[in-house]
Amino acid sequence: MRLRDIFQITEVSAHCDLPCGVYDPAQARIEAESVKMIIQKANESDDPDFRARAIVIKEERSELVKHHLWVLWTDYFKPPHFDKYPQLHVLVNEATKLAGASGTKGTFDEGKADELLAKIAEIDKIFWETKQG
Amino acid sequence: MIRPGLARVVGASMEPTLHEGDLLLVLWGARARVGSLAIVRLPRDAHGMPRPVSVKRVTGTDPADPDRWWIEGDNPGVGVDSWLVGSLPRSAVLARVVLRIPCRRASFT
Repeated sequence: MRLRDIFQITEVSAHCDLPCGVYDPAQARIEAESVKMIIQKANESDDPDFRARAIVIKEERSELVKHHLWVLWTDYFKPPHFDKYPQLHVLVNEATKLAGASGTKGTFDEGKADELLAKIAEIDKIFWETKQG
Repeated sequence: MIRPGLARVVGASMEPTLHEGDLLLVLWGARARVGSLAIVRLPRDAHGMPRPVSVKRVTGTDPADPDRWWIEGDNPGVGVDSWLVGSLPRSAVLARVVLRIPCRRASFT
């Protein structure tokens, strides 16, 4: 054993996560609100160019909704959360479907955007309950 | 071979037990003990990036495999621990924490 082994200090991480550990369903909600607004504006427009752009952006934003929900599902929520909220798996599944091809990604149905926002609100409620627990 | 060493805590996942900047006396190569703190090597993340060497609490063995350790952070609700990455092999436990040295300094980073 060498003295330098003792006096050399190793950093040990007690970080909550990598890269940052910051989670918030607001990310998914804001993207979903964008999707809803795009649908409204596209439905009110007769401009084919605007509608074409709206389709592209709506698909991108819908994909981001799915991404942010999946990050919460896979990285933030843990088995104790799923034990306490057994509906959580189904909720995330339904929400991501509403942001998918059968939902806001593939349609201009404003009702789908409202359903998506309602699902995200349910996930958000559970999220903040786990934060307080 | 078991040898002593020092470790500096970075982050807050072990609060309220450990705080940022705490200095720990550790035994590199010592076997983990249930209930004690350990320096562990966590598996790589979903992107294949290595996680830093971490300090965690050894809370038990894996019910399915007594040769594997179940580790948790003391700060509940957040953190990369066995709830996220599963149990760890013995080889992933690098050191046992013996005590916290009662002096506190800012971390190096």
